[in-house]
Amino acid sequence: MQYVIVGLGGQGILFTSRVLGHIAVSRGERVMGSEVHGMAQRGGSVISHFKVGPYESPLVLAGSADLLIAFDQGEGIRNLHFLREGAQAILNLHDPAALENPHLKKYAADRSLSIAGIPGYQILREKMGGRFLFMNVLMLGAMCGINAGNVSIDEIRETVAKLAPEKHKADNLKAVDLGYGYFKGN
Amino acid sequence: MGNKVILLGNEAIARGIVEAGCEVASAYPGTPSSEILPAVARYADELGTRTAVEWAVNEKVAFEVAATASFTGKRTCAIMKQVGLNVAADPLMSVAHFDLAGGFLIVSADDPGPHSSQTEQDSRYFAMFAKIPCFDPASAQEAKNMVFDAFDLSEKYHMPVMLRPAVRVDHCRQDVELGAVKDLGRKADFKKDIRRWVCLPAHVRITHPQLNAKLDSVREDFETLYGRYNYEVPARGRASLGIIAAGVSFSIVMDLLKAWKREDISVLKIGTPHPLPVRMVEDFIARHENVLVLEETYPVIEMQLPDRTHLKGRWNGFVPRAGELLPEVIRDLILKALGEPLPVEENSELKAAIEELKVTPKPPMLCPGCPHRASFFAMRKALPNGIYPSDIGCYTLGVNQKDVDTTIDMGASLTSASGFYLAYKTDGKDQPVVATIGDSTFFHMGILGLVNAVYNRHAFVLAILDNRITAMTGGQSNPSIGDKLRKGDEGRQVDIEGVVRGCGVSFVKVVEPYDTTESAELFKAAWEHARTHREPAVVILRHPCMLLRQKQAIVKVRVNPDKCIGCKYCTNFFNCPGLPFDEAAKKAKIDERFCVQCGVCIQVCPHGAIEAVEGEEE
Repeated sequence: MQYVIVGLGGQGILFTSRVLGHIAVSRGERVMGSEVHGMAQRGGSVISHFKVGPYESPLVLAGSADLLIAFDQGEGIRNLHFLREGAQAILNLHDPAALENPHLKKYAADRSLSIAGIPGYQILREKMGGRFLFMNVLMLGAMCGINAGNVSIDEIRETVAKLAPEKHKADNLKAVDLGYGYFKGN
Repeated sequence: MGNKVILLGNEAIARGIVEAGCEVASAYPGTPSSEILPAVARYADELGTRTAVEWAVNEKVAFEVAATASFTGKRTCAIMKQVGLNVAADPLMSVAHFDLAGGFLIVSADDPGPHSSQTEQDSRYFAMFAKIPCFDPASAQEAKNMVFDAFDLSEKYHMPVMLRPAVRVDHCRQDVELGAVKDLGRKADFKKDIRRWVCLPAHVRITHPQLNAKLDSVREDFETLYGRYNYEVPARGRASLGIIAAGVSFSIVMDLLKAWKREDISVLKIGTPHPLPVRMVEDFIARHENVLVLEETYPVIEMQLPDRTHLKGRWNGFVPRAGELLPEVIRDLILKALGEPLPVEENSELKAAIEELKVTPKPPMLCPGCPHRASFFAMRKALPNGIYPSDIGCYTLGVNQKDVDTTIDMGASLTSASGFYLAYKTDGKDQPVVATIGDSTFFHMGILGLVNAVYNRHAFVLAILDNRITAMTGGQSNPSIGDKLRKGDEGRQVDIEGVVRGCGVSFVKVVEPYDTTESAELFKAAWEHARTHREPAVVILRHPCMLLRQKQAIVKVRVNPDKCIGCKYCTNFFNCPGLPFDEAAKKAKIDERFCVQCGVCIQVCPHGAIEAVEGEEE
């Protein structure tokens, strides 16, 4: 399983791969990933690679990722080339019309990509007082909502509860459920 | 089976340092090395070792502190990034000649790409220059293992040993095996011996040949005793290609071969690139007609081979002479070396979509609410015709709004200001010059430039952007804060104003940069003082880094569309992620996803279009 997680510096992307890594290791699997630290984190484009299984190197080869998680739709679209044929993507949308772009639709159709979108900012604005810090866990919930990522929502809930700081635990779990519920309708 | 946890490569290195019984660790932060030292402190606290763990003011200091502690027989290490090793180059060259007592490890983290550095250099080259052994890990686990071997090797030959992780190892995350601490039970015992510890020319005439002999022995060890780092993964049957690979390039090659299910390529992994086990490499080359060499970033392996004429590598440009060896680059190089067609990637639809949707990569920017943005705004408003030499830190990002004209390295804002002053002065011209430097960089290498400017009477303004942290590298302590890393360790704050006055500066003023009007007045007054008194004048702009999330007034703002005339003054001169320009409406707007409600932009708009939202001030 190879994930590519993209977004903008400061969106809390690293926590996402921490959760996924924790789940994989508790299943007895090997993990390997690559993160961005330093100058690139200052609001610029960031990309995190994450691989579960017998891999030696931390980077995902273009055209071979199973899942793309994008905290920013522009970053998501820019990085679709990482996906293999038949792979999935989940994008946080601030301008949903973008997904209707005919070139984009053709690119996705040619490769049997399934690209799902969630209006993450809007949900967090309406349901969590605009605290966009919770985007990372919302996206994890959304990932399970589209049955992607090879992990269950229960594993995500359990691991987020374990890794989140105690005082933000309830809010983190709420955001996970908001992301999940957007697709599962509860 | 031991205890496995997921660690960052840098944490794995730190864990190795503590487990190996290192008792003094000193570092200066710098991406991609910054996470190592805090992790050393954390593991030392957890495991209850007595390791002294300290941020030094710069890498030369870190190097000398740690190296000298090893003279007493203890294990010590100095940690830095590639360009930090440039700063520490002087002691590196000397200490390489010493017959050390305790193990001394140098960790120098390289940044091929580069991602967060002002150069794309190769520390292995420095190891070669200094004639010391170097390990080049391919993964987090291997980096941890190499720490133990590096200490052992250092003690076997009484010489410094380098571990050179590149960024993809520093910032990889991998499940890593934890071990117990090796209690070496050593007591500091410095044995005086001037031939050993004083680098006089007469002594070097003895120690240099000794160093050469040590290096020959290490090379022999690398040929025979280090099979865990230097080994061949043979092809099945006759190989159509032989690849010599070091560092993370090896890991990438192995993943590619597995994905391709190819067994007609043999791979020689080199984990000890200096001194190169030449026999092993030559033997591999002799058995392959077609050989590709993959290493980052200079041709260090190739350079040590007497005959590299038949190799496909960085030396002859078959492998690009610059840049990171990403999986896609390595894939194409292997196929090219095999004479096989490159994969056709039909991405034209995606490219068209990206173009139509105007999706562009976002460069890093100063954070919303960053005090540097306000400082820069005031500086440019006060002295619009100034030349702005700057320095290494977050504020280098001021280049986005044209507030940074030059950056060379740590501390060069001051010395560049001197250079500009002198160049214009010889024409008889008073050219305003404002140097900007952060608190940590000022302590790192700024003070000397200031002393030089006071001594030689150079007229310019020095703006110290004091955000109470070493911010760019992730928020490390420094002398302006005074915190230390280990639990129970107390440091002391060093007063910047006192240091500046002590250097002989008479104009020293502190200002809150969020007040851009007062800051601008101060910039003007400082330049006037510098010009008339022929000396540097110092303005200290003090406001904590936004990443420290300290409490400050919340000022909710809006753009009044009736007043905004779409002049883009705010985007050009202030350039805040929370205040973008709406191309459709032709007006500035607040992007609440990024705005942190600092309220500074209210002072920015010349038309008064940015307003505080009534009743929202707290």
